[in-house]
Amino acid sequence: MSGAEFTTRPVSDPPLREDFGWRFAGAVAGAGLLTLLLAYAVVALLIEGTALWGTNIPFVWGFDLINYVWWIGIANAASLFAVVLVLRRHGLRTAVNRFAEAAALAAVAAAAIYPILHLGRPWLFYWTFPYPATYQVWPNFRSTLVWDFWGIMSHVVVTGLFWYTGLIPDLATMRDRAVARSRMVQARIYGVAALGWRGSVRHWARHQAAYRLVAAMVLPMLVSAQTIVALEFATTLVPEWHQARLPLHVVATGIPSGLGVVLALAALLRGGLGLTRYIDDDDMRLLAKLTAAAALACGYLYAEALLVAVLEDATTRQAIAARAFGAYAGLYWGGALLVVVVPQLLWLKRAQIQARWAVPIGIGAAAGVWLDRFSLVAGGLLRDHLPNPAPLYVPTVPEWTLLAGTIGLFALLMLGFARFVPVVSMYETRHEESEADVP
Amino acid sequence: MTPGVIAEFDDPEALVAALRAAKDHGWRRMDAYAPYPVPEAAKLLGATGARVAWIAIGAGLFGAALAYATQWWLSVHVYPLNVGGRPLHALPPFLPATTIVGILWAAAGALIGMLALNRLPRLSHPVFAAQNFGRASEDRFFLCLFEGDPGLTLREAEYLLRRQKPLRLSVLAT
Repeated sequence: MSGAEFTTRPVSDPPLREDFGWRFAGAVAGAGLLTLLLAYAVVALLIEGTALWGTNIPFVWGFDLINYVWWIGIANAASLFAVVLVLRRHGLRTAVNRFAEAAALAAVAAAAIYPILHLGRPWLFYWTFPYPATYQVWPNFRSTLVWDFWGIMSHVVVTGLFWYTGLIPDLATMRDRAVARSRMVQARIYGVAALGWRGSVRHWARHQAAYRLVAAMVLPMLVSAQTIVALEFATTLVPEWHQARLPLHVVATGIPSGLGVVLALAALLRGGLGLTRYIDDDDMRLLAKLTAAAALACGYLYAEALLVAVLEDATTRQAIAARAFGAYAGLYWGGALLVVVVPQLLWLKRAQIQARWAVPIGIGAAAGVWLDRFSLVAGGLLRDHLPNPAPLYVPTVPEWTLLAGTIGLFALLMLGFARFVPVVSMYETRHEESEADVP
Repeated sequence: MTPGVIAEFDDPEALVAALRAAKDHGWRRMDAYAPYPVPEAAKLLGATGARVAWIAIGAGLFGAALAYATQWWLSVHVYPLNVGGRPLHALPPFLPATTIVGILWAAAGALIGMLALNRLPRLSHPVFAAQNFGRASEDRFFLCLFEGDPGLTLREAEYLLRRQKPLRLSVLAT
């Protein structure tokens, strides 16, 4: 039996380590500094208002929506990936599920900041919630703003539930390992978080049902949440946005960004924490091929957008042409290059396994989708209904600060996750190993 | 608390064999503990996830109905807004919030239903006092027979479990 030689201790030990080394401390310091910048940018915005941003008519949306759609895309693809692995009981789930879920949660947290901040008076965000106000004013439920409220709130909660449901048994392992090492403070914290999980097989049966159910719930939630975002564009009368293909484009191009981030994280985690046995070369190969395939699907979407433009009416055709060849053409083609072309390198065996290839390509795919979102939000408005040309949208320093801040927040959350929680699902790994042992 | 006898095994097959022997002998008040799901043992104990699914479905439908009813009631009756003469009761714009709130309730129902059926959170339980029970979350399998089944004593439990050749046998005190 596997019990003798196979153990998940290399996974459960890092969170109990006293010291993580100077590199980790440096990374936390860097991410913490960026998160402080985020706090500064938010306070500045609360005091000064959205005049700090480069947005103006006709470019009413800028970094707020670009970054929001981008982060949501990353979260969606990471969750989608985790969900498909759980539902199909794929072997890869043991290796990457946990941190794909964590990356999704951190990305949703980073995303959720933007729609609140872009309201103009962010402290009144709860006005979108139907509550009995003094003046008996209720939200307009036919408004896309209210869809957004429910979409984001459900996304945050359901992604969190998915992550936590899978984590409960592993928190119990952490509790028992902490007790074995006489680390009583940690044992208490993990113990409370594990809710007293004792591994009863009756509990396991219900836990597995609940985990798969939550996973099954995440699936339609992802599609609808991202579609709601895209519909907010599509329901406007801006010619470039007012297209039925927009939800598909936004959902599908989100996938390589999220997979790219998961791939980069997998490469970093297995190198950084020495988990090559738990996230093995086959896992990396499969993940890399998935990213490359998703990128190929995006190539089809880009081609379709340009081909269909030929068949569209003159206004839409002009708008699409303005986006692809106008002032923001560099963003459009840069995005296409990083999302579609560069990830094709991942078909190469060397690029699949070595971190120095996989990390830049994965991050590059995410950056490419960011360029695509920029091109959509700003470039889509180059042909609106106004006769005179307006100055182009250029992000200001406070907007860049906000973006850097949310990247810092994402990094800080991921570092905290690697520090305090087992990064690989231990019970799934044990289960997998025990089945592999049966001849 | 109910006293019992707990046996430790190092693989799931031994646990399932012991569980089957205890069941054949008439034990009902018993529980098995494993570091990962052992569906065979769960079947012997008669535990399934079906009720979790029903709770999740019920919660999801309730949440969706609540979301739709709230939108309809507020938009049509309490606070009708005339936006360019568009209908007050409109399915398409009500649908996004309805589906997504239904999903939210179903997911929360699955987790909370699972915890409620499992009687968790419960931070303290007599089996935690068993020797070496910390390994139940790592690589060991435990079977505990609790006192209280009519006509069966702890002495019989000890005899029965010892015949399954466990790594260790201990008695849970009150």
